[in-house]
Amino acid sequence: MPAPLNMPIHLKAGEVSSDVSNKYKRVPFGKEMLKQFSFDPEYRNVNHGSYGSFPKPISELRRHYLDECEKSPDPFIRYDFGSILDENRAAVAKLVDAPLHTVVFVPNATTGINVVLRNLQWNENGKDEILYFNTIYGACGKTVSYTSEYSRGLVQGREITLDYPISDEALIEQFSSTIQASIDAGKNPRIAIFDTISSLPGVRMPFEALTAVCASSGVLSLIDGAHGIGHIPLSLSTLNPDFFVSNLHKWLFVPRGCALFYVPLRNQHLIRTSLPTSHYFEPKQLSLGAPNPFAPTTKSGFVMQFESNGTIDNSPYLTVAEAIRWRREACGGEEAIHDYCLDLSRKGATLIASILNTHILDNPQHTLTNCHLSNILLPVSTKPYQDFHVIPEEHAHLVGEWIHTTMIKDHKTFVAIFYFQEKWWGRLSAQIYLEIEDYEWAGNVLKGLCERVGRLEFLGEEVPRGDAAP
Amino acid sequence: MNSKVPFGRQMRETHFGFAPSFTPFNHGSYGATPLLVLRRQKEIQKLELERPDPFIIYDLPNLIDESRKAVAPLLGASVDEVVLVPNASTGVNIVLRNLKFEEKDVIVHFSTIYDACERAIDSVSALTPLTARSIPLQYPIEDDEIVQRLRDMVQKVGDEGLNVKIAMFDTVLTFPGVPMPWEALTETCKELGVLSLVDGAHGIGHVDLKQLGSISPDFFVSNCHKWLYVPRGCAVFYVPIRNQHLIRSSLPTSYRYREDESPDSNGKSRFVMLFEFVATMDHSSYCCVPAAIEFREIICGGEDEIIRYCLDLAAKGGQRVAEILGTKVMANKSGSLARCCFSTVMLPLVLKDGKDPVSKGEFHTKDVSKIKSWLNTTAFKEFDTYLQTDSHAGAMWVRLSAQIYLELGDYDWVGSKLKELCERLVDQGLD
Repeated sequence: MPAPLNMPIHLKAGEVSSDVSNKYKRVPFGKEMLKQFSFDPEYRNVNHGSYGSFPKPISELRRHYLDECEKSPDPFIRYDFGSILDENRAAVAKLVDAPLHTVVFVPNATTGINVVLRNLQWNENGKDEILYFNTIYGACGKTVSYTSEYSRGLVQGREITLDYPISDEALIEQFSSTIQASIDAGKNPRIAIFDTISSLPGVRMPFEALTAVCASSGVLSLIDGAHGIGHIPLSLSTLNPDFFVSNLHKWLFVPRGCALFYVPLRNQHLIRTSLPTSHYFEPKQLSLGAPNPFAPTTKSGFVMQFESNGTIDNSPYLTVAEAIRWRREACGGEEAIHDYCLDLSRKGATLIASILNTHILDNPQHTLTNCHLSNILLPVSTKPYQDFHVIPEEHAHLVGEWIHTTMIKDHKTFVAIFYFQEKWWGRLSAQIYLEIEDYEWAGNVLKGLCERVGRLEFLGEEVPRGDAAP
Repeated sequence: MNSKVPFGRQMRETHFGFAPSFTPFNHGSYGATPLLVLRRQKEIQKLELERPDPFIIYDLPNLIDESRKAVAPLLGASVDEVVLVPNASTGVNIVLRNLKFEEKDVIVHFSTIYDACERAIDSVSALTPLTARSIPLQYPIEDDEIVQRLRDMVQKVGDEGLNVKIAMFDTVLTFPGVPMPWEALTETCKELGVLSLVDGAHGIGHVDLKQLGSISPDFFVSNCHKWLYVPRGCAVFYVPIRNQHLIRSSLPTSYRYREDESPDSNGKSRFVMLFEFVATMDHSSYCCVPAAIEFREIICGGEDEIIRYCLDLAAKGGQRVAEILGTKVMANKSGSLARCCFSTVMLPLVLKDGKDPVSKGEFHTKDVSKIKSWLNTTAFKEFDTYLQTDSHAGAMWVRLSAQIYLELGDYDWVGSKLKELCERLVDQGLD
């Protein structure tokens, strides 16, 4: 059992520890690496993309911080937390090539998206529009709707419907023409939200080009990089978006409840408040009311608002640096992880597609699959098609949920099943604790389940509740 | 471990994880979690690690429902009116950011409001037509007077042609640590047609709230991670059915946001489903509410026992400290300020204001933050304790949190340390 993080607490942000020897031994990917994680031995985790996971050393470090907090709550929270937090902000800022003062933590990407949309002051002329794709993450799409409702229609959403498979060029072109369409309609395309990698389907977006189009068109870019850090190489200073969020608890092996929120200095004045509002919020008119009970600080208002805004369990924030270290030492570094996962995702998806006798969601240039997620068509349909299993249309809405609950019950696994463009798909997540055998196994599981769907088994059973969006 | 351990030193050593040299006198800020409840949290975290999707998608909603069912009786509320959020600040922000404020709408609050709540009001006022009015309160004060001041302010604002839409007040204040007559304030709001937003951050597990459901303020939030022994990151948010349509979105907005009010296909209301899964975070603290309540019932002998002990200790302990310091406990004529687990004791430091001359051994009010800072860091460095101090009504005070892991001897100890610290401060000054 590794010792708790023995970084001196007074280490300033940006300082490198003098301890350069490796703390973690290199572990081969696949079944060996699986032992580093805490999954139930009977459970196969092929859906890392939804909720992430983290190895034992990170779990232990997180526990260590929770215990330290219990030993002396006030001193830990008031005196230690801030500097440990800064070390961790520094570690991830370095990873994504962003200045420290632009990087804060929020509990998850959804919060980051909400912070931006709830802070922007919409034009009184009611012409502002938020551009987004139809593949936007559910909660973010709802945030756009809610923002419109709350602003009493002062801002409207404009959805761009993508028809997959689509080439990057066509997608970018569609985006550009939507900006133009908004302008032609007498509107003001104020901000665009797009993913680095979308959720369902799990496909890579040409986000770099989209960001550039935004910049040249005067549209703010809000990048939902929920699937971002630890999944694709990122340089925020090169990318230069207006706002960027990325979950660290997905692909960076950090415990749940930690995301990066990046706002370049030029835009920080637009982000007036964290959510919830912090002691460190600075009202435009100095209120004569209740003073901030915390000690004065040299850190910016932006940074401080996100450091302290309501008591939560922020122990995940404190494990980021160690997670990066573990990835470097035990896994051989970000590139090694990425190369393994990309290769496994592509080979694995190809294998599943051949087991199911269907195909992968991809474009001829293979840019959609340039990530660790893959989406394979399931041989289920409401109309006769090739040798697909045909099911009655009126019961189609029961299929996905039945497959989910049955695969947990009978196969002790979970594959995200989704209905998209009138077809059913299964999404898999490659990871360093998986091997090609896991994909073969998953392919056969899916094959069997689809056969059972074809035999209408999903009509016979009561489906238990549970529909959280992956 | 089912046998009752006496409150005080034994309870601390058996059931809490404090460092041996640390004296925890500030439960009010961040709470503390008994080891048995931490064990439950670890179990939950382990389950989540073992099978992430099945746990999060299928087990978590049931565990959260169990927590809601366990906590609702403590508020005398129906389960349908109660959801969980990460903390009281979030609850307050949810209300303030859901209500649609019109021109002339005003929010009324007291000057003793928790500062992050006031900042939230500032933030919402910047983006909406809402304006705020603060009712000055200086302690000690009688409950009747507090209620009268609310009436007067609502009257005054009305006379100006404005509309008091909502009033916000605490169950127990942060500083000084004293209870507020929230029941009477709520009734008054109802009479005056003003929405009541009760910040019960110090509420559940601290004062008896079983009447809340019948008194039924319009919105109420209380941290479970303060006085209910739940791990950090869990608060209960109460919204009576009549108001649930006003809460359109969680914070952040989740995929469960929708236009219509109809119940979910599983029979649960839109409001309850809105908060069932908002976004990915560690929900283990939410799942620990039943374990915390069980601890309080079985190990501690029940809510009444805990509160009785703490009220008594706060009163006797506060008195002891005041005697040692030669000062007094914050108290009013009716004695109502004593009905909570805090005791707020005056420090023997003279504070001068304005252009009054400051003699040696005295301080100016502009030095308050330096005094606080010195007391905090010195007490921590030398005595391994954290003292919550602040100025109020021209004097410095310390707020002490009584708890089942403390006993009278601890108050003797902290009293003597406070005496020493104040004497040094008077002798040396701040430089």
